[in-house]
Amino acid sequence: MISYDECVSEIQTLLAQSHAGGSIVPPESDLIDELGLASLDVMELIEALEDRFDVAFPINELGDVRTIADLAQRIQNLT
Amino acid sequence: MSLLQKLDAARDFQDQLGQLGVNAIGATIDVTGSATEGRIEGKRVILAGTNNYLGLTFDPACIEAAAQAVRTHGTGTTGSRLANGTYTGHAALERELSAFLGTQSAIAFTTGYVANVGAISTLAGSGDVIMLDADSHASIYEGAKLSGAEIYRFRHNDPADLDKRLRRLGDRCARTLVIVESLYSMLGDVAPLNQFCEVVKRHGAFLLLDDAHSFGIMGETGRGLAETLGIEDEIDFVTGTFSKSLGSVGGFFASRKYDVAPLRSQIRAYMFTASSTPSVIASTRAALKRVAQGQALRSQLWKNCQRVHEGLTSLGFELGAAPSPVIASLMDSPEQAAAAWQVLLDAGVYVNLVVPPGAPKNLSLLRCSLSAAHTDGQVEQIIEGYAAVAQRLFAQPRAAATAYA
Repeated sequence: MISYDECVSEIQTLLAQSHAGGSIVPPESDLIDELGLASLDVMELIEALEDRFDVAFPINELGDVRTIADLAQRIQNLT
Repeated sequence: MSLLQKLDAARDFQDQLGQLGVNAIGATIDVTGSATEGRIEGKRVILAGTNNYLGLTFDPACIEAAAQAVRTHGTGTTGSRLANGTYTGHAALERELSAFLGTQSAIAFTTGYVANVGAISTLAGSGDVIMLDADSHASIYEGAKLSGAEIYRFRHNDPADLDKRLRRLGDRCARTLVIVESLYSMLGDVAPLNQFCEVVKRHGAFLLLDDAHSFGIMGETGRGLAETLGIEDEIDFVTGTFSKSLGSVGGFFASRKYDVAPLRSQIRAYMFTASSTPSVIASTRAALKRVAQGQALRSQLWKNCQRVHEGLTSLGFELGAAPSPVIASLMDSPEQAAAAWQVLLDAGVYVNLVVPPGAPKNLSLLRCSLSAAHTDGQVEQIIEGYAAVAQRLFAQPRAAATAYA
């Protein structure tokens, strides 16, 4: 099983490349309101995480995901 | 967030579009007497941003059928298909569609959007899985959401990615509906349907093909991409629309493998909406006959597609896909796309302006769509319009873009 911290770290790394201008943002950052991701960006982020951890993340659950921490928790539960 | 804050967000979005300085979204078009010409803000334009692929909106036989039906059967059915809204024409259209497609049965819907929402939300339910292409039409997403099934996306037109994601599902593949489109409406790219069929079959899942944009224009008899590839028997379910090549409005759901007719009493989007008007049904039936015998129309359409694709490529436009009736020019920004759209309009050519979030991958593009009804002269005028865009907006003359194979 992948640790929560490992999930957070992977999300932070992916976001640093795509939306955070190279910076590592805190886990409580809101993906849409603070980091400015569009819904399509969130789905692409999830696709990358699915591949990284070899899990299947149903997009029905996207509505409950606001922050990096939320997403990391969900991904960890799937591993 | 209060309920009304959503109105503010919608207004902000409208303002953003307004800042592009053009009136492209929801432009009012005055169409009189022609499938390929109209007026926008009083200016005569060639319509190159429709889905009127075979130009049948003004086919004399279709018009006559519609006119006769409205005189004989009235302006509307005032009821749903399960109540008083199934006239002999509705039933005849379904029989004719089924015979044309070689399916066990076919169900006609009021719109293509409703066909997808109804079919998908009924085929899959709680405990099932829907696996859809990332660039799927909104109606597919809506149907999937409404179904209550778990929804997963795979990367657009990527059979290897689908394969990987189905593998992760394991035994659940037997309860999985995979959904792809034949020809994608924004970029004009075609699905690798052969490969998708192979992957879906290997995993024991089911495949639904949304054939909205290739129906009527591909295949020897116009039955779409699957006919071209000779794999119609491999497709579990197919949906489509009457509002593209058939030139009217409506949609269908059919299958060669299964009899879908019993689902009529389960599909809420079929049961609880008014049925198509008799005139729409009549013109659709007439158009279906034209499609079945429409080799000449298809040849003309593809000739027009080839010519415009070549013309735009040689002007240096980066295009979204190989030649098809949808030719998307990828622009650098929403602002550049809007300026280009206005240049084209000024040159007498109407195309669709597509800006984020309307296009995949946050692209900004000009969506040109061709019709068999475009004359050689109109085709050249469309290319001349794009030449004006290239001259006005490209800082340096561009070399010919790399053409798609």
